[in-house]
Amino acid sequence: MVNKTEEELKAAFSELTVVKEDYNQKGYHLSCDVAPKDIAAVAGFFDERRFYLAVELCVDYRDYLEIVYIFSLHMSLCKVKITVKIDPVKPVLPTISGIFASAYWYEREIREFYGVLFEGHPNLTYLFLHDGIDFYPLRKDRIPVTDNDKRELSSFSPEQSEDSLCINMGPQHPSTHGVLRVVLRMNGEYIEEAFPVLGYLHRMHEKMAENRTYPQFLPNTGRLDYIGAMSFNLGYVTALERLAGITVPERANYVRVIATELNRISSHIFWLGAYLADLGALSPFLYVFDDREQILDVLEGITGSRLTYCYFRFGGLYNDIDDAFIAGTKAVISRIRSRFPLYEKLVTGNVIFVNRTRGIGVIEKERARKNAVSGPVLRAAGIPTDMRKLEPYACYSEMNFEIPSGQRADALDIYNIRLREVETSLQIIEQALAKIPEGPFMTPKVPKKLKPRKGDIYHTVETPRGELGIYIVSDETDRPYRLKLRVPSFSNLMVFPELAKGNLIADAVAILGSLDLVIPEIDR
Amino acid sequence: MTVQYSSFIQGALSLLAGLSVTIKSFFMPVVTSQYPREVLDITPRFRGHIKLLADPENPEWAACLVCGVCQAGCPSHSIKKIEGEKIEGQKRKRLTSFILDFTTCSQCGLCVENCPSKGIGFSDDFNLAGYKREDFYFDLVQEFNKRKKSS
Amino acid sequence: MGGLVKLLDTEMVRLAVGLVLALGFVVFNALILTWMERKVAGHMQLRIGPKEVGPFGLIQPLADATKLLGKEILIPKAVDKTLYYLAPILIFIPVIVAFVVIPFDSYLLVKDINVGIVVILAFSSFTVLSILLGGWGSNNKYALIGAIRSVAQNVAYEIPLLLALLSIVMMSGSLSLKTIVEAQKGLWYVFVQPVAFIIYFIASIAETNRTPFDLPEAESELVAGYHTEYSGMMFALFFLAEYTNMFIVSSIAVTFFLGGYNGPFFPGFIWFLAKVYFLVFVIMWFRWTYPRVRFDQLLNISWKALIPLAFLNLLVTGGLLKL
Repeated sequence: MVNKTEEELKAAFSELTVVKEDYNQKGYHLSCDVAPKDIAAVAGFFDERRFYLAVELCVDYRDYLEIVYIFSLHMSLCKVKITVKIDPVKPVLPTISGIFASAYWYEREIREFYGVLFEGHPNLTYLFLHDGIDFYPLRKDRIPVTDNDKRELSSFSPEQSEDSLCINMGPQHPSTHGVLRVVLRMNGEYIEEAFPVLGYLHRMHEKMAENRTYPQFLPNTGRLDYIGAMSFNLGYVTALERLAGITVPERANYVRVIATELNRISSHIFWLGAYLADLGALSPFLYVFDDREQILDVLEGITGSRLTYCYFRFGGLYNDIDDAFIAGTKAVISRIRSRFPLYEKLVTGNVIFVNRTRGIGVIEKERARKNAVSGPVLRAAGIPTDMRKLEPYACYSEMNFEIPSGQRADALDIYNIRLREVETSLQIIEQALAKIPEGPFMTPKVPKKLKPRKGDIYHTVETPRGELGIYIVSDETDRPYRLKLRVPSFSNLMVFPELAKGNLIADAVAILGSLDLVIPEIDR
Repeated sequence: MTVQYSSFIQGALSLLAGLSVTIKSFFMPVVTSQYPREVLDITPRFRGHIKLLADPENPEWAACLVCGVCQAGCPSHSIKKIEGEKIEGQKRKRLTSFILDFTTCSQCGLCVENCPSKGIGFSDDFNLAGYKREDFYFDLVQEFNKRKKSS
Repeated sequence: MGGLVKLLDTEMVRLAVGLVLALGFVVFNALILTWMERKVAGHMQLRIGPKEVGPFGLIQPLADATKLLGKEILIPKAVDKTLYYLAPILIFIPVIVAFVVIPFDSYLLVKDINVGIVVILAFSSFTVLSILLGGWGSNNKYALIGAIRSVAQNVAYEIPLLLALLSIVMMSGSLSLKTIVEAQKGLWYVFVQPVAFIIYFIASIAETNRTPFDLPEAESELVAGYHTEYSGMMFALFFLAEYTNMFIVSSIAVTFFLGGYNGPFFPGFIWFLAKVYFLVFVIMWFRWTYPRVRFDQLLNISWKALIPLAFLNLLVTGGLLKL
């Protein structure tokens, strides 16, 4: 697939120099520098070949701004990095949000963080920084925001349209799970248009990363996605190990998989409870808390923490597992298995639940690709893509597991997929427990001051919510030059306005819940 | 019509199945623990706020060498004011002040790992509540002395 | 002395004493039911529920009530003051009236009106009016949507509820609650009219806005629905009315279908209360088990299933009676 894409790309754009990259080091196969005027045509090329736009980001190299597009395929491993160099003084670039819907928010983000003007973008206003900015925060030099730009950036206020009923769902609302705000323009109980408003929990982790050494950013990873903290921790650690060429002992890899999968189960069943609470049933919430508590106890036993574990280190683990952990994990496996019939009776089979979720929030394959949704939402759409299988990290390549996929692509399918993934995770844990080798849990020679090689890497892992992409640019210092997080909830939320249109407000709640959003992760 | 009829029966049965789950739970023993009256053991690896450990050779002293590695490595700049005094006849400094700003601490444990003299450990004190910000500026030397006296 | 007894026996005094007792019972009942709800919820969710205040947390509702009473009554700026004040009062008055005609025992009855059930149903329609007033007067979008939902829901569910009761009225030939209870000395009507009972029970849950039909106050969609803007004592009145309504619909169900105060060994009112609280428990049981239905599904259940079924039931009942 990589060779085919390379040839086709060369054939379609003869003036381009397509570079074949070392996938193991960089995380992408091909890279290509494109002139600003050609970017729309190149994006169209990838759109035709069923690529999705995993992430669009910007790096400030002082002499020039580089916009990076990562195009990727769902069913086979082929990642292409397209870069565009633009003038830092007057940064202008044509938009590709018309071709890839997922670019819509990424371009807004780049606009407010770097001041890049995307020509033809329908709405270049604040995405996160609604309080206003005086300087573009992620630029390496202080570039003031002109008054004209400020006016343009703050020109979007969806709730102020006349003669229509606008409801602010959030930032304090029981079913937005945190501080997401969605402005709903209503027609009676039907939603005409939905505008998610982000930024209520924006902490600028990406800027924080630039000001911290690599190990110092470790605690931040748990704060991004507090329900699946292990996966984010693992993603960051593996990305850096790949960048710096650190090998990890086998035992550590197995423990990483076990801990991450335990965390994934706790995240999925926690979602189950919260989703049912959205639909009005509160008891399942308490039942899953009972289950989740068992998992947290086990994880607390090895990590010392219940939510923001911060358990993995570059080259291994924070500390070794003990027999109590293995016994506890086995107990958790049998306990979760024994609870499936209960959920089946209480939730899965319940006629009210089924009627509430069947046929709503349908995400067709094409829509899923355009919006770059990932995780269970994507798999429910019938595309069985899982980064654990597609780009195995840690020791997932040695595990044998199935990836569930749905047919109807509705909220009920997403629910079923999540429950089946709990079973998948249980199987993975069982296999890992059986195979776990003895040995050290930490590579002996990891430098305290970590200075990875110059260059960049795009590394993906599968979090409970989907594809987490970490793009790191290193300049051989002990701090990242640029760290970009492609978070799954962000892309999954992007599809929400399309799904909500024309639905009842109760359905909107059910759809929003089915996407399993974690707001700190979206806002970063 | 017959299809509707059977699905109706099925729906009613599913509702009854749900009821059976909750009524079973109703008569099951509770799983919660009644916190102030019933305190669970906490794991030995529990990551609370940090505390100073005693020097194994000289238990009167904290093991801290006043090197400042923990302060430099702290991601949230929570460790403040590490000072020591030189004492005649001793090879190393004796710690006199170690302030932890717990309001910003994220309990990541990087200081514990970085410490060259293994002088920092985790406290298992989780009953941390206060009325003002100043309650969370812990003077760890004072706390260390208090622990020393009580033991 | 004889004069006093005579005075007590006059209609007006009996009514006045009855109303005062009803008022006391309403408050007492709400306290018991809030405690019961929290205990039921607690144990169904594998936890204890209130336990600190008093034995088994029995005094907890009193403490809560005191807290609500002690709260400042907050009036949001943009509300329609008249309607805003009127709504909680209006929702509270009709529920007391219902107590006048409910036969707790063969002698524990304030007044046996020969159109008793009509009185209750007529007054219960006040509830929806006051919810509408409260929702509209709050000047809040969530409250307004909650109120609109409530009206549509109550209109839809009053019909099957009435039709279900009507079949019993046809069988007993009376609108007086006491006569209906007396007619069940032998066989309870629930065994004769199970379909009517089920229809009535479903409709009554919808009428009292309980899960799975709690759309007017669906907290995950509408925050708190029609009483979003109410706090303190005004909120307590809505709360009181909700729990009293639960008692009333259950007591009507007991009166019409479960033999009222009839039962062996124990005094009648004990049987009556036991049956009523059992039904209340079932309603609570539903709440802590089921998710909420959607609005269109809610209306579909009533218009497409319950109403035709109730009509059919009525027809069959009428036909069989004629035979």
